[in-house]
Amino acid sequence: MPATQLSHPLFESDNRHPISLPTFTPANITQDMIGQAVHFAELPNDPIKFYGTPKPLLLEYRLLSRRASVIRDVTVQTARLLDEAAQKSSKDTRIAITGSSGSGKSVLLLQAVRYCLENDWVVIYIPRAKSTVNSTTTHTYDLRTRTYLQPEYASQILRRILGVNSKLLSDINTKQSLSLERRQIPAGTSLSELATIGVKEQQLATVILDALMNELSAQKKYPVLLAIDDFQAIYKERTIYRDPHFAHIRPYHLSMPRLLLEFASGQRVFSQGAVLGAVTNTDPLFPISNELMWALGTERIHPTSPYDKMNKTLVEYTAGLKNLEVPAQFSLPEASAVFEVWMKDRAVSAPINDELFLSKYTESGGHPRSFVWKGLLATLDGEIPKYDPEVPWPQLREAVVV
Amino acid sequence: MNILRRQVCSTLRRPIARQYVTARPFVPPSQLDQVDPFPPRRRGRGRRKNPDEEELDEEERNDEISGPKAKPESQSFYTGRAIYHDNLIQLQNAISRTRGTLKTLQLLPLPPFARESLIQMQTAWKTPDELAREFDTNMTTGRYRRVTALLNELHEYYRIAVTAKHPQLADMIDDILRLFTSGKKNQALAQGKRKKVQLDQYGRSYTVGKRKTSSARVWMIPVKTPLPSSSLSSTTLPVEDVLGLSETERLSIPVPTSTILINNLPIAEYFPQPADRERIVYPLKVAGVLGKYNIFTIARGGGTTGQSGAIAHGIAKGIFAHESDVGDVLRRAKLLRRDPRMVERKKTGLAKARKRYTWVKR
Repeated sequence: MPATQLSHPLFESDNRHPISLPTFTPANITQDMIGQAVHFAELPNDPIKFYGTPKPLLLEYRLLSRRASVIRDVTVQTARLLDEAAQKSSKDTRIAITGSSGSGKSVLLLQAVRYCLENDWVVIYIPRAKSTVNSTTTHTYDLRTRTYLQPEYASQILRRILGVNSKLLSDINTKQSLSLERRQIPAGTSLSELATIGVKEQQLATVILDALMNELSAQKKYPVLLAIDDFQAIYKERTIYRDPHFAHIRPYHLSMPRLLLEFASGQRVFSQGAVLGAVTNTDPLFPISNELMWALGTERIHPTSPYDKMNKTLVEYTAGLKNLEVPAQFSLPEASAVFEVWMKDRAVSAPINDELFLSKYTESGGHPRSFVWKGLLATLDGEIPKYDPEVPWPQLREAVVV
Repeated sequence: MNILRRQVCSTLRRPIARQYVTARPFVPPSQLDQVDPFPPRRRGRGRRKNPDEEELDEEERNDEISGPKAKPESQSFYTGRAIYHDNLIQLQNAISRTRGTLKTLQLLPLPPFARESLIQMQTAWKTPDELAREFDTNMTTGRYRRVTALLNELHEYYRIAVTAKHPQLADMIDDILRLFTSGKKNQALAQGKRKKVQLDQYGRSYTVGKRKTSSARVWMIPVKTPLPSSSLSSTTLPVEDVLGLSETERLSIPVPTSTILINNLPIAEYFPQPADRERIVYPLKVAGVLGKYNIFTIARGGGTTGQSGAIAHGIAKGIFAHESDVGDVLRRAKLLRRDPRMVERKKTGLAKARKRYTWVKR
């Protein structure tokens, strides 16, 4: 039988059409669009492609035919905050996104990144900040700054910033000249050229990144968003890096985390822009430190005492951080939008009806990750077996279900 | 020496002489003041008639009249169980009188079809302990059976009287039977039947579920749904919405959802396994009441499977308390039944409950 005559839906797995959803645009982030599923359209300077995403989101986008997400009330709230921040310095808008595990913090950060990108902001997104502190990139001690530089990471981040923001960066010119060991970069060069130099020459990458950030802080043409996922990793006093005495290197002694800490604490500011950080609860190597919990006023699991030690420097780096809590439950319209996305992508094996939706919603209590991963995708509910009295062997007949 | 001998002889002589003379019983010295100097004489002749003792004689006379020779109150006094036998006699009399009356009314002997059509009435006689207190005797099985046999016969006549619509006769029999009916009649009749769960003043049900060694206390309260009629009652509806022609037909019917809390934690936090969560929500699915009730549970003992099974059992009983027409469906799905499976004990000679040690040929 030729393959074209196989009409049973079981054979249609290869003919998967992407589901039709509205695109994520700034115009779509309004109060009446809450509970609507949208998808991140493919762009030439797609931050998801250049910067990457946290691992759980990556796996989810591999399963779905579109990179879908649902607009929640926190999305609208964040969008309004960012609209206000576009006029103000980043010192006024330094937000840490907190919430229970699997409640949608990373997704909210990604939505903020896309929102800013399409509103002509310069976007710097670091999806896995723990890779700056877990000793996976090279670090070299620099006598001049008396910190450890991370040249490879700096060069990579410059490449990514260039990939996403090349159009905007070519529009901005340096105001100060930069004199390096072997070369001189005059004032007036475009930032995209500056970044390209850093990408090509790894030894200069850290210095050039620093200079780029300085220029971005000074300019007022475009607001800048610095978005950091795994925000709590840079606030851990003891990084995985070790110095020659085998002591843990502090995060503020490493170039990349120090940069992030300085912008997060307001010691360095963008004239226009914001700093957003999303916290990860489920990493045992990088739990949320006491300093961050104390600054944000989050609910603690373990009892605290005045004798708990806190690093003074890190406490200074937490000054002025505001807490944005993501609700741990989907509201019913949001949950139904998520359900429809997975249903249309034919990822749900159980019979699709409102009973399945309500039962999974009740079982997970509306919790986003549980609702999708442990509810819809993990259910073994199937079609109710039909009783067939004509089957010759009684033991093979399905049981009569009343 | 002579003085001593005289004294000894005199003391020896005295008690012996006294014994034969008076034959009085020995009284300990501490109780000498309690001795009655004029004890009541036995009946018969030889009574002293002293002028000093005239008053005492009258009293003695009264005592003797109300003494053992007085007439007993009850005719069955000499059985030793007067009240018991009196009651038996009265019951037997009542039975014979009623039998006579019913025969006159031609209601006895009843043909079998009429006997089957008698109204069903359940009885609960007083317990042997209660009757023992009333009759002031020890109610052995035999004595209790005699009483209940008579009561049952009288009850049969009562049923006949009620069915045949003779209210006066029925009332007279009922007056007698009520004396022997237990105050705890309702309790006795409801023994063996499941107690109906009452909803409290707020409409909450409280049930208990068990599985393996876990137990769960479950409180269920109906979810308060907001009134959906607010949109209907407003008079400023656009014409398109009224006629159903509007393009954006977003239904704003508020759907109620159930919140399940276990030991004050949400279900997703307390049970990470999807199987446990599904087991808990299954009774709601079967009964079709998924968004109807908010559930608060306290689970103790056992492990995850036991606790989730116990909660499911409690929820099923709670649903049955709120809606009894769903009972049939829940019973068919075996949700109202306490799962009797428990961990089997380890036996001697075996490694575990069923596992045997490795068989060795030699």
